[in-house]
Amino acid sequence: MRAKDIMIPVQDFLTPENTLKEAVILLKTARRGEAGVGVKGLPVLDADSRIIGMLSMRDILKAVFPFYMTMMDLGDFTWDGMLEDIAKRSSQRKVGEIMSKEVITVPADAPLMECIDRMLKHNIKRLPVITEEGRLTGMIYERDVFFVITKAMLN
Amino acid sequence: MDSMTTMESSSFSFWAATLIFLSAYGLIISERIHKTIVAVFGAGAVLVLGILDQHEAFHMEELGIDWNVIFLLISMMLIINILRPTGIFEYIAIKSAKFARAEPFRILVVFSIITAVLSAFLDNVTTVLLITPVTLLIADALNVDPVPYLISCALASNIGGTATLIGDPPNIMIASKARLDFLAFIYHLTPVVIIIMACYIAAIKLIWGRRLVTTQELQQKILKMNEKAAIKDSILLKKAMSVLVLVLIGFTLHSTLHLEPATIALFGAGLLLLLSKTQDPHHLLAEVEWPTIFFFIGLFVMVGAVVKVGLISWLSSQMLRLTQGNLFATSMLVLWFSAVASAIVDNIPYVATMNPLIIDMAQQIWPHETGLQLLQHAELMPIWWSLALGACLGGNATAIGASANVIVVGFAEKAGRPISFLRFMAYGVPITILSVAISALYIWIRYYLIRF
Repeated sequence: MRAKDIMIPVQDFLTPENTLKEAVILLKTARRGEAGVGVKGLPVLDADSRIIGMLSMRDILKAVFPFYMTMMDLGDFTWDGMLEDIAKRSSQRKVGEIMSKEVITVPADAPLMECIDRMLKHNIKRLPVITEEGRLTGMIYERDVFFVITKAMLN
Repeated sequence: MDSMTTMESSSFSFWAATLIFLSAYGLIISERIHKTIVAVFGAGAVLVLGILDQHEAFHMEELGIDWNVIFLLISMMLIINILRPTGIFEYIAIKSAKFARAEPFRILVVFSIITAVLSAFLDNVTTVLLITPVTLLIADALNVDPVPYLISCALASNIGGTATLIGDPPNIMIASKARLDFLAFIYHLTPVVIIIMACYIAAIKLIWGRRLVTTQELQQKILKMNEKAAIKDSILLKKAMSVLVLVLIGFTLHSTLHLEPATIALFGAGLLLLLSKTQDPHHLLAEVEWPTIFFFIGLFVMVGAVVKVGLISWLSSQMLRLTQGNLFATSMLVLWFSAVASAIVDNIPYVATMNPLIIDMAQQIWPHETGLQLLQHAELMPIWWSLALGACLGGNATAIGASANVIVVGFAEKAGRPISFLRFMAYGVPITILSVAISALYIWIRYYLIRF
């Protein structure tokens, strides 16, 4: 089996110029194949459909959570509604500054084992699949790999 | 060795040392290579080429590494690193904000003063790193622009650091070379720093007094905070504070005790390490800023080389020709030139070069004096103070003039409110001119007019 056999074509994506608010809306409404609505991460593409970053729930969490909190022990000095206040203020920030810029990808005809290897080594749950020219063509999700495994076990 | 070869080899040494020194300076300024790497390589080059030999670099006071400075820095870093996890600095910051009744402008003033005072005893960068997180938290809580607080933090730390021997590396280096004691700095520099801080507070009132407003509701958030929750380890805190007090008393008395400041600090660090019941000092020692320490080490060796080959002597002769031996003119020149230099380049290499230069100049003016009579000649003292004031205060003028400024600009960017180079200068330059002008007036009145 190859990457292109289990990947899901990408229908929704972000650009670096999108605001965090727009990204959040898209994350909420994006479709993942026929499996439902709402994803936890989206690829960020440039004008040539090349993948230049990934924006996940975790990236947003990291961006919204104030960096100064970790510099000292300030856990006791938060207030009710602090996260909401800060989240509201973060809504206009650009995807480009928040996304993870180190993207792990696989070519479309990569064997499945290589895909799993990459996912495990880098601890990622979604793996972008790219064409020979470097354009994004699909995404491999942990769930779909898991589905291959369960299918094999249960047959 | 015949005289021809000696001349050739000394000419080679002169140009080699000068070239290494100038290239190192250039690379450090351009920031293309990390300054520690430049310094360490430069020192190695100087030694390998035989310009300075290892004995001179490691064991001679006039030419080599100033171990007094090195160990004072390391020891204070250790003491502060043990003190930090106790939560005392978070406690001080939150308590001050409450003391200021959570009013934004009052907080700005109180935090500036606290930063200045802490900075007189800790190094400026550490002070800024300790104050800014809480500052940013409070700015978020009150929904005010954090930029005034950040800029003021940097400016106040540089001003405050000028007040004592341990407040700023230039002072530590000058004290070591001129054999000045802790009390001398208190007696000569603390007064003018207090005056400058007072004028500084007036200045920030003019600049930001009206612009920082919040609502009562938001102020409640701060007033409800319990600063006592910040103290994570009250036993360690008590021990650390006792040792710190002991160290400060030691600094005050050090010349009576015939002990160098580094000895006092080193003893304090050792005592605190023992009392803190640290099982493995690996982690604490790893937190010492070794890049800074090695930068100093390399720098001292390179400067030692240019001292030995006579470049410094030549420079000091030029300076004497310029001022024609008029010491008042010299101290004004040193004050203002140091301020400008410090705004552009790191004040540490600058002061490391100026110290032997001033000593050499003194030797030329008073060829029959030596030792303390020379170093602390009554007419030379104002020049040391001019160097200290210019080098420490000048750093406020630009975003790159002092490490504290660089840190603060970095934080502003992370917080989403970047401060441009020009914008920093818009605040920094007037404050610097103000503080250096006050210093000039002080030096003139105290050392040339009234003379006390």
